[in-house]
Amino acid sequence: MTVILGPNGVGKSTLLLALAGLHKISGGSLLFDEEPLQNFSHQQLAEKISWQGTLPPSEFGLKVSDRLALAMRDVLESSGSYWDICRMLDIDHLQKRALGELSSGERQRVELAAVLLRDRDILLLDEPVAHLDLKHQASFLSMMQKLTAAGKSVLVVLHDVQQAVSIADDVLMIFDDGRVECGSAETVMSAVRLSKLFDTEITESGEGPNRLMIPNYFINNPQEK
Amino acid sequence: MQFDNRYKYALAIALPIVVLMLALAAGEQWINPFSANSTLNQTILWELRLPRILTAFAVGGLLALAGAWFQVLLGNPLAEPYILGVAGSSAVGAVFSLMLLPDSAWAMSAGAFIGAWVGITVVMLFSSQGPSKLLLSGVVLAAFWAALVALLLAILPEKRLGMALAWMMGDLSSSVIPVQALLIGWAVALGCGLVLARSLDTLLLGETHARALGVDVARLRRRLLWVASAATAIAVTAAGTIGFVGLVIPHMMRILFGTLHRGLLPASAIGGGILLVLADTGARMVIAPAELPVGVITALIGVPLFLWLLVRRI
Repeated sequence: MTVILGPNGVGKSTLLLALAGLHKISGGSLLFDEEPLQNFSHQQLAEKISWQGTLPPSEFGLKVSDRLALAMRDVLESSGSYWDICRMLDIDHLQKRALGELSSGERQRVELAAVLLRDRDILLLDEPVAHLDLKHQASFLSMMQKLTAAGKSVLVVLHDVQQAVSIADDVLMIFDDGRVECGSAETVMSAVRLSKLFDTEITESGEGPNRLMIPNYFINNPQEK
Repeated sequence: MQFDNRYKYALAIALPIVVLMLALAAGEQWINPFSANSTLNQTILWELRLPRILTAFAVGGLLALAGAWFQVLLGNPLAEPYILGVAGSSAVGAVFSLMLLPDSAWAMSAGAFIGAWVGITVVMLFSSQGPSKLLLSGVVLAAFWAALVALLLAILPEKRLGMALAWMMGDLSSSVIPVQALLIGWAVALGCGLVLARSLDTLLLGETHARALGVDVARLRRRLLWVASAATAIAVTAAGTIGFVGLVIPHMMRILFGTLHRGLLPASAIGGGILLVLADTGARMVIAPAELPVGVITALIGVPLFLWLLVRRI
């Protein structure tokens, strides 16, 4: 699992779009299995990649069950896992509701279900845990770890450095000035680098699996100063 | 409030037949379609009323289908068949030929048909610009065509003014397209729609998500634009400008049958037909023996219905 980190507007989402073949790149080249990405049709890429991004608001009252059916339009496997996935994301009771009636968190969970139902080898996730409550954040991220262990490639944009520290195998940092650093999480993730990346002081403590990354803002509550 | 599947199919088959029979029977003179004994009544039923009713059905269905397509294509629930100015350009064609050529019904229809395709061709130039720019160019072009129509109406000989105005409010009595051809057009349009239905559904998620699901959005968009425009051109040629069917029916059908197109498109094709048949029957009867333009009735039904929908749903 690779986590992409960087400040707003630096091109994280665009990078995911480009990797999914949904955004034309103006320079450089993208290779997929050593072949240029543009040699693949949308259909071929859709068979390999499951991309999750913000769903634009639907004007037509699309239902949850319809939205998930669309995600599975080119998926051939049995529907045995459908209810498992819906139950895991607690959306099994929302099936007949219109997407527009749901809360942001519920909508996000529907989108995550759509990604999981597509069951592709490569998952490109753009802030998957945005709007989710803590319970669902934790269950989804641990699900991602399981999928990674099962051999899937997961590329995910996150904003919470602590989440990144605890789940990332590799990290890709995109800086404001376009500079990029990447490597294994242990080597690249340091308080100094992250502070520079986000232009915010971050404190590090603990080691290995107990490593903590906390913005100083949360430690020294400004109200107490 | 969605119907069970059983009711859906029963309704889809039964309602058009009932409405058809009712429309056949109704008129200045009520005639029982099952026991029309005099030759005069036979003639009225099968040679006057039936072709007109079927014309109304096909035109209404085509307009509703085009409306459903344009709404998804442009991602805008307010879109309707004439949104891209096709009604305006065909009105220009119709009025223009009314001015130049002697024989009226044929000339107007030919002019309308040519005008429709001129309008479509112009708007196609903007089709690669994405939905919002396409919509904007359509709206602006519609204003342009409206100005041209106003200009032509101002210099039109007075005795032809009435014809032009009647055409612009919708007129099913003088369709020069054979009713069989219209019904075939209706069936072909519905068939095309059903073939595209599954890819069409993905457009409900927005363009990027549709492409992420493996749909060639640019190609789909082009095809959709062609079938929707062709349906509009045929409808406008056969019956002039009839508003609101294309706007209201797809929304009503979404409420009743859901958003997915394999259900929505047949429902719209049938529902649009039924609404226009009813409206035309009303137009024949309200001030009989004279007739109202059918566009008056569809707007009078359509506007309150749509406002009710707006308040209730969107």
